[in-house]
Amino acid sequence: MAHQRVALWAAEPDLDDADDVDIPIPMPSSTNEMYDDPNLHLDEGSLQAMQQHIAQQAAFAQIPDVVKRFIVHFHQAVLDNNLQEVTLAYESGWTRLTEKYYAKTEWPEAETIAPLVNDDQIFLILYRELYYRHVYSRLQPNVDDRFHSYENSCELFNYLLNSDGPVPLSLPANWLWDIIDEFIYQFQSFALFRSRPASKTDDELTMLGSEGGAQAWSSYSVLNVLYSLIQKSRANEWLKARAEGKTDEEIEEIVGEYGTKPLYRMLGYFSIIGLLRVHVLLGDFTLALKVMENVGLGQKAPFTAPTAVHVSTAYHAGICYFMLRRIPDAARVFTGVLNWVMRARQYHTRSYQYDQINKTADRMYALLALCYVLAPTRLDDNVMNIVRERYGDQIGRMCRGEEGLSTFEELFLYACPKFICANSPPYDDPAALASMLIPPTPTSPSSQNPSVVLGDPTQRHLRAASSHFMSLTPVSSLKSLLKLYTSLDAQKLTGFLDTSGAGVDEEEVLSWMMVMKNAGRCVGRVNTSGSTAANGEKDNDEGSRPSESLLGGEWMSISDLNFVIDQNMVHIAESTVGRRYAGWFIRNSEHAARVLDGIKASPLPPRTIPAQVQKKSADVPKGESAPRTTGPKVAWGGVKVA
Amino acid sequence: MAATAAWLAPPSRTELIENLVSGVDRYNPSNVGILEDYLYHQIRSEEYDCLANLAILKLYQFNPDLFNPDVVINILLKALTAEPFPDFNLCISLLDDRPPSSTLDEPDPLPTLLPLLMNLYNLLHQCRFSAFWVLYRSDELEVIRENYTVECAGFEDAIREVAARSVKATFTRIGSERLGTYVDLSGPELEAWVAKQRWSFDSSTGVVSIPPNPDNQIESVVIQEHIKLPQLSKVISHSVQVR
Repeated sequence: MAHQRVALWAAEPDLDDADDVDIPIPMPSSTNEMYDDPNLHLDEGSLQAMQQHIAQQAAFAQIPDVVKRFIVHFHQAVLDNNLQEVTLAYESGWTRLTEKYYAKTEWPEAETIAPLVNDDQIFLILYRELYYRHVYSRLQPNVDDRFHSYENSCELFNYLLNSDGPVPLSLPANWLWDIIDEFIYQFQSFALFRSRPASKTDDELTMLGSEGGAQAWSSYSVLNVLYSLIQKSRANEWLKARAEGKTDEEIEEIVGEYGTKPLYRMLGYFSIIGLLRVHVLLGDFTLALKVMENVGLGQKAPFTAPTAVHVSTAYHAGICYFMLRRIPDAARVFTGVLNWVMRARQYHTRSYQYDQINKTADRMYALLALCYVLAPTRLDDNVMNIVRERYGDQIGRMCRGEEGLSTFEELFLYACPKFICANSPPYDDPAALASMLIPPTPTSPSSQNPSVVLGDPTQRHLRAASSHFMSLTPVSSLKSLLKLYTSLDAQKLTGFLDTSGAGVDEEEVLSWMMVMKNAGRCVGRVNTSGSTAANGEKDNDEGSRPSESLLGGEWMSISDLNFVIDQNMVHIAESTVGRRYAGWFIRNSEHAARVLDGIKASPLPPRTIPAQVQKKSADVPKGESAPRTTGPKVAWGGVKVA
Repeated sequence: MAATAAWLAPPSRTELIENLVSGVDRYNPSNVGILEDYLYHQIRSEEYDCLANLAILKLYQFNPDLFNPDVVINILLKALTAEPFPDFNLCISLLDDRPPSSTLDEPDPLPTLLPLLMNLYNLLHQCRFSAFWVLYRSDELEVIRENYTVECAGFEDAIREVAARSVKATFTRIGSERLGTYVDLSGPELEAWVAKQRWSFDSSTGVVSIPPNPDNQIESVVIQEHIKLPQLSKVISHSVQVR
C-alpha cells in the first residue's frame, strides 16, 4: 500500500507514474500489485484496512461536489481566521446543505472528508462537532455515537485548554454558544439514556459497564470542563471589573492573556450560563443562582450574545426561583424575556436555535400560568394576554382547588427541564443492576416505578411543587369570601366554608388563614427601577446597587387582600390600585409635542394663522401635583413609562 | 437584603467553610468530613447554615459511597426548622435515589423515615401546628425522637419559632389555649415562653396580645402613582422651548 491516495480533484496530473491514474477507486492498481507478485501475503489487518479504505473512497465519491466545495471553502475560512466567512458558512451554508442533502441521513464521516482538508485535525474536530450535533438533533444517536461524541468533545476542550497559550482560532459567537449548549445537551441526553437500564441490549450493557463507559459523560468531567473554561478565561473577574467600571487596560491585566482573546472570553461567559443549566438539571437551585452572581439577569449582556443565550438564562433562572418558591421573581424574569423575544422574533428565523427558542418560550408561558395560579399579581399585560389565551381553562381549573392538581402536574411536567440523576445505575455490577430492576424490598416507598426508570428526579421535583400547590388550594375560596367583608367572625367563616358538610372545623380554617397569610408574603428581589410595583409599605428606593446577589431579597407583600385575626374576629382590608393615568398621559403629551413640531417644521400653506395650540402643552404638567390631604390612605407605587 | 443575608451567609460560618462553599473545593470528596463536622457543630449550638448543608448533599449526590443517612436525617430536621424558607424542598431535590447499597453497616433507615419527615414538613407548611405536635409525639416517630432530635439542641424551640412567625403575622390577639396547642406548651411554661417572645399575656382573660408588626397591621390602601419629575422632563422642556 505504498501509493499515496491523493484526493481526486486536488491531485496534480502525474503523468510519470502510470499507476497513479485519477480513478477514485484504487482497485485496479492494487490488483495489479497482487498479480505482479503472487507471493505477496496480505494479512488480515491490511486486508481490512484496504477494504475500509475502499469503502471510504466509495463514500467520498458519493459526496456531491457542492458539498466538497463547501467543505474546502469552510476549511480555508477557518484557517485564515476569516470571521465573516466562517460565520456565513456556519450559519447559512451548513443549514442549507443539510436541508438539501442530509435531511434524513448523516453527513459524511470525518475520515471520508479528511483528504479534502489535508487531514487538518483541528478542523476535523470542529467538523465532527457539527456532525454529531446533526446526528443528535435529526437522527437517533446510538451508543457508539454517544461515546464518540464524548471523545470528540474531550479532544476539542483539551485542545482549547491545554495547548501552550491561547489557540489562534476565531469562531463566531453563535457557534461557540452552540458548542457549549450542545455539550450539555448531549450530557443530559446520555444521563437520561443511562438511567433506563431495562431496555438495553447486551452490547449496550457491556459498553456501559466497561471502564470507558463509566468515565464517559460523568458529571465531574462535565463540570470540570465548564469550570476550567471559566477559570482559564477569568470570566468572573472580567465581569466584576466591567461592573466596577475599570478601564480597558486594567481589565486586560486582570484577565490575562487568555481572557483578552474574544474566543476564550465568550467561551468563559457561555460556560457560566452552562453551569447554571447543569446545576438546574442536577437539582441544585441555590448553587445555580450563585454561579450567576456576576452575570445578573438584566438584558445588558457584555456583548451581543445570541438570543438563545438570554432565553436559556432566563428560563433556567426562572425555574430556580420557582423551585425556591419566590414566585414574583420567577414571574418577573419570565415576563422580561418573553417581552423581549416577542419583539426580537422576526430577526432570528434563520438560526439553528430558532426552534429551540420557540419551544423554550412556550414552556415559559406555561410556567407563567403556574406562577399566576400560585401568586396572583398584576403582570405585564401583553404577556398575560397570551398566557390567558393559551392556558385560560387550565388556570380556571387550577384555581378551583384540589381538582386542579392534575392540571398543575401536567403543566409542570410539560414545562420543566428534563432533570437528571447524577449517578448511573451500577452497570459494572450485574447483580446489583438486576436487583434494581425488581423492587428490592417492601420498605422502599420512594421508588415509583423502578422497572422503568431509576427514581426519576423529575417526579421528586414535581412532588415538591405539588405539595406547595396543595397547601395553597384553600386560599382562593377563602379569598373570594373575604373580599365581601370588612370584618367577620371566625365561626361564621367556618360555616360558610363548610358548604359541603365535610366537617371543616375552626382550627382548620385558622390554619388556612395562616397559610394564606404566609402565601401573601414572600422573598423578592428589591426592584429598584420602580416599575409595576407590589404594594410597598416602604418605598423601595435603595438606589441601584450594581451587583446584588441573585439569591438576596426582602420580604415583600404580594397579596392585595390583607387581614388580621383578633381572637375570633377577622378584620379585612383590601388594597386597590388607583387609576394609572400618568404613563398614558405623558406618552400622549410627548406625542402631541412631536406632532406640533412636525407641523411647525412643514412648509406653510398660503394662508394660515400661527397655531394657538402652543398654549395647551404648557398647562398640562401642572395638573397633578396638588397633594391629597383627605380620603383613604394613599401609598405610592411606581409608574411605568414605556 | 436583610431577610436573606443571614440565610446566605450566617455570621456563624467560619472562613474555611465560606471558602469551601463558594469555591470549587466543594466538589472535592475529601472535604466532606469538614462539612459534616460543621453540621454537628450546628446541631449542638443551635445554629443553622443552609448552603453548607446543601453542599454536603451535593457531595453525596456525586459520590454515593460517601452517603451517610444519619447526616441526611439531621440535615432534613434542621431544614424543617427553617420554614418558611424552602430549605426542606431544596434538600429533597438533592436526594437522588440510590441503588440498595452494600457499603453501610446497618440497614439504611432513610427510606422508612423519609415519608415521616415529609409528613411533618407538610403539616408545618400547611400551618397545622397542633397536628404536627400530635404526630411528633406519637409512637411512630419515636425513632426520630430517640435518635436524632434528642441530639439536636433546641429543635423543639426552633419549631415553636416557626409557629410563632405565622402567629405573629396573622393575629393581633389570640386565645392562650389555642396558642398552647400551636406550640405544645401550657400553663406556666406557656407564660414563660410568651414572655420570651415579648408578647403580653393577660391572665384574667387568657388572651395573648401580639405587638404590632408590619404584617399584622392592616389598612386599606389605595395605590396611587408616584410621578417623579424626571419623567415629566421631556414634556416640560418642550413647553419651555416652544417659547
